Amino acid sequence: MKDNVDISVDFAGIRLANPVFTASGTCGYADELADFMDINVLGAFITKSITAKLRKGNPTPRIVETDSGMLNAIGLANIGVHKFVEEKLPVLEKLSPAVFVNVAGETIDDYVTVVERLASESAIAGFELNISCPNVAKGGIAFGTEPEQVAKITSAVKKAAGEKVLMVKLSPAVTDISVIARAAVEAGADALSLINTFTAMVIDIESRKPVLANKTGGLSGPAIKPIAVYLVNKVYNEVAKSTGIPILGMGGIMTASDAIQFIIAGASAVGVGTANFIEPGCAAKIVEGVKSYCARKKIANIKELIGTLQDS
Amino acid sequence: MTNNCTDAKRGVFPAAVKANKQIGQQFYRLKLEFSGAAAEAFANSKPGQFAQLDLSGTALPAAKNIPDELANTARRNILLRRPFSFVDITCEGDKTLVDILYCVVGPASLRMTTLSAGDSVSVIGPLGNGFWVPEGKKRVLLVAGGMGVGPLQHLAKVLTTDYPDIVVMAFAGARGAGDLPFEARLDEIAQQLGFSLPEFAKYGIESLVATDDGSAGWHGLVSDCLAEWLGQANFAGKDMIIYSCGPEAMLAKVADTARAKDIDCQVSMERMMACGIGVCQSCAVECKAGRPGKTIYKLCCKDGPVFDSREVVFRA
Repeated sequence: MKDNVDISVDFAGIRLANPVFTASGTCGYADELADFMDINVLGAFITKSITAKLRKGNPTPRIVETDSGMLNAIGLANIGVHKFVEEKLPVLEKLSPAVFVNVAGETIDDYVTVVERLASESAIAGFELNISCPNVAKGGIAFGTEPEQVAKITSAVKKAAGEKVLMVKLSPAVTDISVIARAAVEAGADALSLINTFTAMVIDIESRKPVLANKTGGLSGPAIKPIAVYLVNKVYNEVAKSTGIPILGMGGIMTASDAIQFIIAGASAVGVGTANFIEPGCAAKIVEGVKSYCARKKIANIKELIGTLQDS
Repeated sequence: MTNNCTDAKRGVFPAAVKANKQIGQQFYRLKLEFSGAAAEAFANSKPGQFAQLDLSGTALPAAKNIPDELANTARRNILLRRPFSFVDITCEGDKTLVDILYCVVGPASLRMTTLSAGDSVSVIGPLGNGFWVPEGKKRVLLVAGGMGVGPLQHLAKVLTTDYPDIVVMAFAGARGAGDLPFEARLDEIAQQLGFSLPEFAKYGIESLVATDDGSAGWHGLVSDCLAEWLGQANFAGKDMIIYSCGPEAMLAKVADTARAKDIDCQVSMERMMACGIGVCQSCAVECKAGRPGKTIYKLCCKDGPVFDSREVVFRA
């Protein structure tokens, strides 16, 4: 019965074997994970953020665990787009999941530089525009909180992206996430991913200093999951449903039942993030768990489940 | 450590708890048993490597056994795995036994104390790079601070087995006699120099104890004890190597002493880490890079935890 369930999805025109993505920054460039998980069980893979030039990242401590969550302030540490093409792309090319490259920068030109360099690479299915990173002084979240800025950067990158899918990753730290989502869609976004982390702080009460060297970090993990489910449902109802734009839902997904909540809320696909740090093989379990749920609920095709939240 | 066998792969493995013994007031020694591919992987692991333990499903001790200083944080959910190095690895038939020395510092290590024989715990490992022995070394100094003595005990055993011609000596330091994770009653050997800890004596290794408060052994920092000993000793620096593990301030001092004496030195670093396998980028260690003043971040989990002390920029 389980084998008869079709969980493949069409995500902005890309055929995926299943709706499970890894979230950016939680699986590196895939090469680090070979001993711990089979990347090929995924529907899609999102790289850690790539910038035009190499970034060292923030001083340490860069993480701290919180109640059912963690804060990170890595600071977009990455090898830069040129080294990425030389060293990492050949590895990603051999993977069966669709590959999305998460793109970050300090200026619109930075984003465009990265996307222009990668737009002709056949190994890449699309881009995830990181306009919601809370851990850098310039760029990042600053682009993602003003609708005019969101529209400007989305349309500039869309031109550079050519035929590739452009997904825009939204910050939850806004008054109305649907306003931002609409601005991205109207400027040409092919898909939306939400949510990025919440800006947060942990204080050491002995020293009265923030625990993180960056003072603040992005809160992820199960602690943010109910908020993420709510925001996905809100964006689905207010923007995605009417425009037909798919949502990649994420925020604290640890298990298949977490993933199913996001799909019911309106996500066409789901991203697994923090959970990869704890259980590198969890994505495979989530894929199987989604299948089992569909079989049990007599859902032949996962499309029948997306955005099917019932009235209470 | 000359073993180049890399066929045994690291991975995510279940471990069977064989014992979890309290040592003194604040220390514990956990014995884990691995079978199959995990047994092979851990049998081939090197001193200084580590493993990530999932303690999220491990029970809290009874309220009366929760120390006052953890009363506010004990009930917090554990999300991330916790990294531990090994104090000993032994093979028994087709099983591999891995011993971990730990003390209670927070809600996860507090839960760890309730593990008992028959329990199972998920382990990712073996991870990182361990200590290595460069060509031509005739004399090794092991310099430990507090819990840092764990991986150096493991190293002591491997050195005496694989490098019988190398002369090894150990320095073990702590705040006070009660802060050293040994079975021996250190307060009973107060002020005695040259006392050999059974943990090292069993490998034929002489050891020196130093305590900050003078309650056992040499009175003062172990890094100063090392510097004084080296001042009196007359050995060629190039024949010697120092292996050190402990608090970062101590490692920085040991590294300074080694540099002044032109002695090779490897330090085992510690950082807050989430994944332990090189993807989360949390555990950055600032390292010198080529040009003077230029630094890069290496990862404690993947590039370390053992580094050549000359490349590390120690945190103030």
